[in-house]
Amino acid sequence: MRDLIIIVKKELTELLRDKKTIINSIVLPTLLIPILMFGGIKVSQMISESNQQKTVQIGLVNAPEDFMKLVKGDSLNEITNYTESIDFKTLIEDGTIQTALVFSSDWQTHMDSLTSSQIQIYRNGTKDNVNGRVSKMLETYSTELKKQRIAQLRIPVAKMTPFSENYIEIGEQKELIGKRVGGFIPYIFILTMWGGCLLAAIDLVTGEKERKTIETTLSLPISKFNVLLGKSIVASLLGFLPALLNLIGLIIGLNFIDGIPDEFKLAINEMLNFQSISMILLLLIPFSLFLAGFIIALVAGATTFKEAQSKASPLIIVIIIPLVMALLPGIEFTWSTVFVPVLNIGLGVKEIMAGTIDMGMYAAMLFSLIAFAVAAIYFSYKKFSDENAILK
Amino acid sequence: MIQIEKLTKSFTTKTGKGFKKETVTVNAVNEVSFECKPGRIFSLLGPNGAGKTTALRMIAGIINPTSGTAIVDGVDISQGNDEVKKRIGFLTGSTGLYERLNPDETLDFFGQIYRLPEKKLKERKEYLFEKLGINEFRKKRMGQMSTGMKQKVSIARTLIHDPEVLIFDEPTSGLDVITADSIIDLIRESKNDNKTVIFSSHIMSEVDLLCDDLAIINKGSIIYNDSFENFKKEMKADNLTQEFINRVKEA
Repeated sequence: MRDLIIIVKKELTELLRDKKTIINSIVLPTLLIPILMFGGIKVSQMISESNQQKTVQIGLVNAPEDFMKLVKGDSLNEITNYTESIDFKTLIEDGTIQTALVFSSDWQTHMDSLTSSQIQIYRNGTKDNVNGRVSKMLETYSTELKKQRIAQLRIPVAKMTPFSENYIEIGEQKELIGKRVGGFIPYIFILTMWGGCLLAAIDLVTGEKERKTIETTLSLPISKFNVLLGKSIVASLLGFLPALLNLIGLIIGLNFIDGIPDEFKLAINEMLNFQSISMILLLLIPFSLFLAGFIIALVAGATTFKEAQSKASPLIIVIIIPLVMALLPGIEFTWSTVFVPVLNIGLGVKEIMAGTIDMGMYAAMLFSLIAFAVAAIYFSYKKFSDENAILK
Repeated sequence: MIQIEKLTKSFTTKTGKGFKKETVTVNAVNEVSFECKPGRIFSLLGPNGAGKTTALRMIAGIINPTSGTAIVDGVDISQGNDEVKKRIGFLTGSTGLYERLNPDETLDFFGQIYRLPEKKLKERKEYLFEKLGINEFRKKRMGQMSTGMKQKVSIARTLIHDPEVLIFDEPTSGLDVITADSIIDLIRESKNDNKTVIFSSHIMSEVDLLCDDLAIINKGSIIYNDSFENFKKEMKADNLTQEFINRVKEA
């Protein structure tokens, strides 16, 4: 134990004196979420504001008076009237107009006889702002016409409204948001954890080879297992630390960044209480050891940083696929998914944040992660003991 | 004292393309036997790839032998190599120092690993710093030091636990003459202190300066093992380098 502490202390001192490690494992994870939140909110606000101020150039054919009045009601709409339907595709492509509405030539006859008519809408599906505003205008116009017809036919409003919907929410706000947002949170911290573990593991194993100190380390009167365990602990710490800082960044971001809806803020704050944070962090301890052990095993035979990176990088796919699966509808935290690493964390964190986690399943997941961590450390020890690989 | 008896190290590699894989086993060191006595300097000579480093790594407990025995200061390496490692100071030409630590931290780390009592570690560290002139850069990180400075720290960390056995693996390779001279001084001093010293080299001038006993290793096998005095007596060539080349070629 004493030797292990000495090794951990030395490896940690070395790593924390490396600028690359400080930036990737401390600075970036702390700032990542607040920057993403702040940036995301600001960008969406800017887009929304600029969209509201944009003019929409609309081409109209056979438009009835009441519709013209509705369109002119918004000063940002620029209208061009056409007497007949022409090549609107070209006009939209060259930017003369952004959309065109072609009312049928017998529009008024249909309206008078209370039958259904047709409007052809030329549009570019990618122009969300233009299409949204046109759809909204058409919806308003349609509602107005319906009202007029109901009045004309003297039908009581109640008869045209067979039922009204009244939702009574029985799920807590926390549960709703937890299940929706909870799946995304592991994405952030597992990916930063991966980055932290990867850099640290490569520096501690391949870096030692590059700096030609591996022989010195192996000549010390400490067992190879203790050397390896020390390196794994430090690599996992450097993976765990960014994840912890991510959570801290999230809490700071929620409390200090303006523009987040209050009910969302409240729900997230309620989710990220002491108990749920402790439960999440407890899962991340064996998981970071598992990652560290696995990466060390992969890079043990590499002689350069580049080679180590190319050997370990494909592992990210094994991490991302279960995380994506955890977001898919229909995949739940059950006894069959509880033992699948990464997927269990993705699903488990959702349940923890929603406050619906089954403690028996949580314990099973924790033990399975510990078992995976032990297996990964053993695997890395085997690789680290391979004289052909380590002294290459 | 180091006693080596039929020490062998085999490396197995897989070669081939696609599904056709062949396993090739090569004996990097093949049934090597020799003895190094305290108060004498033993030189292990051989061309590049002869097996010198592999043999020294086995003696130092860095790698495990495939067969054979090595007894270092009374401890058999097969009985757990940590005990052997405690008795050895191992130095290579590449210094092998942790670049982000300073000399103070480096010696503290090695001293703690060798389980030196705190007081003894401090005394020994101050003695070595003074002797080797490390005090003026003791707080400077290794990565910012010159090769000469690094080699001094490397010597200090090799001697921090005052080992009975010193192993030098091509200790002067790549060093300038002044730095190489400090290593040669250290080897001489260790001999005077009655330590067991083994060093590998292919520089015959160093051998001439230091050597008491020698073994020549080629392609993993010992082709000569005797005292340096006898080696010189048996010489057929005009100089040591030519004699060494001839013996390797004849083997």
